[in-house]
Amino acid sequence: MENSPIMEHVDGITPRHRRVRPLPYVLLAPAVVALGLMLGYPIVRLFTLALQEFGLKQQFGAAAKWVGFDNFRAILRDAEFWSVLRRTLLFCAVNVALTMVLGMAIALLLQRLGSKMRLLTMLGLMLAWSMPALTSTVIWQWIFDTQYGIANWALGRQGQSWLSNPLTFYFVATIIVVWMGIPFVAFTLYAGLTQIPEEMMEAAAIDGARPWQRFRDIVVPALKPILLILTSLSVLWDFRVFTQVYVLQRAGGITRDTNLLGVYAYRISIGANQFDKGAAVAVVMVMITVLMTVFYLRSMTRQEEL
Amino acid sequence: MRSIKLAAGLATLTMVALSACGSDSTSSSATNAPAPAATTAAAPAAAETTVAPVPADTTPAPIVGGTGEGGELRLWLNGGDTPDDFVKFAIAEFNKKHPDVKVTFERQQWTGIVEKLTTALSSSDSPDVIELGNTQAQAFEAAGALKDLTADKAKLGGDDLLQSLVEAGTYDGKFYGVPYYAGARVVLYRKDLFAKSGLAIPTTIDEMLADGEKLKADNASTPNFSGMYLPGKNWFAALPFIWVNGGDIAVQDGSSWKGMLSSDKSVAGLTEFQKFIQETSGAPKDGDDSKDYIAFCNGEVGMMPAPGWKPGQIINKDDGCPAMEANIGAFAMPGLTAGTTSPAFLGGSNLAISGKSKNPDLANELLQILVSKDYQKQFADQGTIPALKSLLGGITGSDAATAQAKAAANSRFVPSSENWAAVEASNVLPDMLVAISGGADVKAEAAKADAAIEGLLNG
Repeated sequence: MENSPIMEHVDGITPRHRRVRPLPYVLLAPAVVALGLMLGYPIVRLFTLALQEFGLKQQFGAAAKWVGFDNFRAILRDAEFWSVLRRTLLFCAVNVALTMVLGMAIALLLQRLGSKMRLLTMLGLMLAWSMPALTSTVIWQWIFDTQYGIANWALGRQGQSWLSNPLTFYFVATIIVVWMGIPFVAFTLYAGLTQIPEEMMEAAAIDGARPWQRFRDIVVPALKPILLILTSLSVLWDFRVFTQVYVLQRAGGITRDTNLLGVYAYRISIGANQFDKGAAVAVVMVMITVLMTVFYLRSMTRQEEL
Repeated sequence: MRSIKLAAGLATLTMVALSACGSDSTSSSATNAPAPAATTAAAPAAAETTVAPVPADTTPAPIVGGTGEGGELRLWLNGGDTPDDFVKFAIAEFNKKHPDVKVTFERQQWTGIVEKLTTALSSSDSPDVIELGNTQAQAFEAAGALKDLTADKAKLGGDDLLQSLVEAGTYDGKFYGVPYYAGARVVLYRKDLFAKSGLAIPTTIDEMLADGEKLKADNASTPNFSGMYLPGKNWFAALPFIWVNGGDIAVQDGSSWKGMLSSDKSVAGLTEFQKFIQETSGAPKDGDDSKDYIAFCNGEVGMMPAPGWKPGQIINKDDGCPAMEANIGAFAMPGLTAGTTSPAFLGGSNLAISGKSKNPDLANELLQILVSKDYQKQFADQGTIPALKSLLGGITGSDAATAQAKAAANSRFVPSSENWAAVEASNVLPDMLVAISGGADVKAEAAKADAAIEGLLNG
């Protein structure tokens, strides 16, 4: 739509009187309005909340006082906030790494499987993927139930509390998050793998390249754009994981030692009725997410330029 | 060619992103408590709303009465304390006078009720009549979320109401929360297992510990068996141990609260509690008491602390075990010396009308039925302490009821502060107890909990 004025400019011709064509804007309007309402309002509300004093009384109608950056000061001085942030970043890194490695492995497997087994594997992946996060978390929680769980039965470790130790709590949470993250990564990478010309792989094999060399020097470079996008998306998803951790905390475990940023913000705002401080935590989260998104968009546009 | 691949990849991504959003919005539309603006924080919001339907899988179909032409009322009651039959009776009574008003009853879970009420009561879709735990009522009264019922107090039971619950329902001299029922915690036990091991009802805490150890040893062949069933998150069960040793949760010091869990007396009580868990309990160390009746029905329990209405839940026909009835005994938890009892946690509920109720006058009439003698008598009949003093004599003589009356005579309560609900919602006590159950240092964990409690109560 913006094409013609730019072309004219590039051609060195002085722009003529620019006509305002309304149609593009009319067509854009519904999307812009919808986005503005769905995304804009909550974000504006979030930022105003973070700058106000807002507790249970304000929730039920009392006037809210503006307090500037007091809420941010309070949370940034809180040692718990920093340990939750550290925990969240570590959890995110481990989960993304596992998702990517296992997703790649399954994609390579899919390529080599016969058609029947491949269909079966894909079907299994689809089922894992289509399950709502809440449902799958509850099922995994039953599997790891202290008294009646099948995991303890299979391992012969009756009464083992998987959720009471933070480390094993995150082990269970990681299984759930990675399990749900793999199908998408595996499918996308498999789609990418089918696009690599077979002749190239054959030629490399004839030239004496070992499987690992072929993977490193042909497959990975060819899939690099997809790998980058998938990693960035996984980082975004795993950074703001909520349902899995919240449900597991209800089932067992120590809340204080297992909070991740999303759950932490929820507990401060909804749990302790400090909506203002919870909003401040959420703002920090949004900022970090925006930074990650910028990286994601940059890596995407850079790939396009190649 | 690369750009074609990329475009295809992006198209897939977009589809995925869209389908992911789709599944989010479907699950959030299943909630009946829309999050208020305050909680629609950008990124985590979609995920937050998906957690609300957690209890839905255990919620039976709502009980409904009336045609709906003359208005609608929504009644929320929590947990298993009020059986369905009670509610059907109340709705039928109400519809006798107002056949054209549709009353919908929706049972809520106690777990997470504070969060749920915070969002539901401030939304335009608020329920009309709600039930609040007596430890939670003050927060909502102070916040102005409830309708002031001071003028109607005489019609709502008046001077016949239980005093301690009236106090929970009163804030700043105004009456918001109508007492609904009370219950002191007792210890339930298996009569047959006691007989098999040759035990009598313990008269001191030390005897109770020895009995628990013997029961556990005698029933070692039963997997997960507990002499005393103590899941780590059951903080109601830990309080008597603290209190009987002279400790407390927190005390008011001038205008501020001081945490007392790490005081020597409280630590002594908590250490005793830890010993009970380690020596006698086979319950999940990080579980709560919401499924204790299942363990009882499975024959995995010798003794367990429980509210007085618990036998009713154990013998319920749906997922309980009616055959167990004859084997359920109850006693008030003994004290340090023979002939005394440990201070029991006095639980209870208040009913209130949401400030956002569209039909407050009809809600008021429904409330009057819920505290009427005919309705409250049902509580006395099932062994629950009714909200009306005049009915106390009518509590029927099951073991649990007599034990409860004895326990209630020496009962205590959590710090009475409008901020206490935040302490509950932040899981401070369960966190501490789960750590202690796992063998952590009692004094260190209690000090952490004290710091958290002081922060919340004085916040």
